[in-house]
Amino acid sequence: MGINWDLLVSSYSAVFSPGIILMICIGTAAGITMGALPGLTATMGVALLVPLTFGRAPLESISMLIGIYCGAMYGGSISAILIRTPGTPAAAATLLEGYPMAQRGEAGRAMSMALFASFFGGVVGALIMTFASPLISGVALEFGPVEYFGLAVFGLSVIVSISGRSLIKGAMSAFFGLMIATIGFDPISGFPRFTFGMIEMMEGPPFIPTLIGLFAVSEVFNEVQKTGKIERVKANIDRYLPSWADIKKTFKTLTRSSVIGTGIGAIPGAGGDIAAFVAYGEAKRNAKHPERFGTGEIEGLAASESANNACSGGAMIPLLSLGVPGDAVTAVLLGAFVVQGLQPGPMLYKEHMDFVYQIFASMMLAQIAMLFIGAAGIRMFAKVILVDRAILTPSIFVMSMVGAYAMRSNVFDVYTTLAFGILGYVMQRYDYPLSPILLALILGPMAESNLRRAMVISGGDPLILFSRPIAVGLMLLAVAALVLSIRGHRKIEAKLAATEGAGARGS
Amino acid sequence: MKVADIVGGLIGIFTGLWVLWTSSNMPADVVMKIGPGFFPSMLAGGLILFSGALLVKAIQGKSKGRLESRQWSDVGVRRGLITLCAAILFVAVMEPLGFIPTSIVFLTFMMWVLGKRNPLLIGLVPTLITAGVWLVFEKLLHLSMPPGVLDSLL
Repeated sequence: MGINWDLLVSSYSAVFSPGIILMICIGTAAGITMGALPGLTATMGVALLVPLTFGRAPLESISMLIGIYCGAMYGGSISAILIRTPGTPAAAATLLEGYPMAQRGEAGRAMSMALFASFFGGVVGALIMTFASPLISGVALEFGPVEYFGLAVFGLSVIVSISGRSLIKGAMSAFFGLMIATIGFDPISGFPRFTFGMIEMMEGPPFIPTLIGLFAVSEVFNEVQKTGKIERVKANIDRYLPSWADIKKTFKTLTRSSVIGTGIGAIPGAGGDIAAFVAYGEAKRNAKHPERFGTGEIEGLAASESANNACSGGAMIPLLSLGVPGDAVTAVLLGAFVVQGLQPGPMLYKEHMDFVYQIFASMMLAQIAMLFIGAAGIRMFAKVILVDRAILTPSIFVMSMVGAYAMRSNVFDVYTTLAFGILGYVMQRYDYPLSPILLALILGPMAESNLRRAMVISGGDPLILFSRPIAVGLMLLAVAALVLSIRGHRKIEAKLAATEGAGARGS
Repeated sequence: MKVADIVGGLIGIFTGLWVLWTSSNMPADVVMKIGPGFFPSMLAGGLILFSGALLVKAIQGKSKGRLESRQWSDVGVRRGLITLCAAILFVAVMEPLGFIPTSIVFLTFMMWVLGKRNPLLIGLVPTLITAGVWLVFEKLLHLSMPPGVLDSLL
């Protein structure tokens, strides 16, 4: 399936309408704000603001959410640079160079480079997404239940390695999430499972309330317990965009990191944090003065920021073309698509091609909006991180509950949100990652229903799973992805340990 | 983290066993050979396997990470428990009392718990936030919030 240029051009003109531009700008500004606040991740930002899109047209809703996603990815760098606290996990690598730059009075240079690198990475990611995802979806149109099962296994194989420091606990979270996904009617026979006779449980746990609970409410319980003060430097913001000399110096790094970020983003389960660290590592390996990394080297900052924003375009590739989310944020976006009555995957390309192209255009517009809003509000966003937590934290709780209730006007959803909030808090406290649960909730039903359909076709012979080349290829990819993600995870662990060690020695 | 991992491992094993037992009571399928209980049983097996691994590692003293110790006397812990109780109460009374009064009382109480003492601030901010959220959801997005006791006024 190639690019339909006429449709692409008409989609750009549809997206460049005042209503959509406004939604993207609102989303981007909200995303930057969310991202800048330590503790509020891009996933949480999108989850918290999904209810605001209920009742709006699909393009308006998805455009706004894409704006939040892209904005939050950049916003994370603001607190990483100014207060040594990454606003999102994807900005963890940014603080390694950004904070030392701010400490020596170059906060403006660091923040303007973070903004430009985010824009650059985002544009490269959006372009690659535009051209790659139709090709992948073209292949996916040939998929049957066996291939879809292989695809789900591929997605699930990388679930283990995301966000957790213990792979065993990651696996436990994934299996627990998969078990939660089996609650409700069996997809083939309609037999009710684990519902305790409750009608509300027949369709399984409601997705949006579950994710709001896991990612927003759990953070509220975490936040109210913190009493420590944040480390802060004087924000000397003297510029909005980087100098030409800085752009020239970092151009190669920006390009390489953007491609790395998009590639990593396209692997289901590998998010912006992994992309940023891999790109940072590559930038250091290729640098003239690798020994300067860690002391405020602008190339390192450019690498991590361009990679984590390019990752958002990459993560949209499997989401749109295969219906498999590339990271936790796209998993939430998948929920928003479903709420709008749209099922991402090859059929979306077949039935709603115009909408897919409008998403490409929205992604590109979101990058432009991010550049302008980021530059215009650079001083204001720097102040956002000083918002009083005594007001912000309970407000987030109220918004979470409202968001959970709004979708179906059902108080059961509010109880679900609270229950998953408590569960999420307890899990985080004892180092069990939450993202695998989210991805498991999406991929679990896909794995089970396609496995069962394949078994109907074969009359119960499990060898059917290894009878189709694409399915076998996907399962082999799953094994490779598992091995690679475990290795990548260990590298990041070692890097984090080294950074923590250096930080402890420095303080 | 050792004790926490042992408890976590045991919870995982017992959850897995319960799912296995419940799944075994589900009807089998004659065509596919696998019925509605097959997939949950498989997942329960995985959970038991990894929970067992966590348990063994914890018993061997190979638990990863350090658990930040917290005492009941810590201000943070007390705030957390108070927040939990307030949150449960908020959810329980949101529908009968209505979103607006519940939200104002919750926000006022929580701001006080989190250290705000300025009467003007804790009197005004919760009302403004609640009004803002209500206007956005109820009037702008046309998504109904529970009116509760204010049903006749709204």
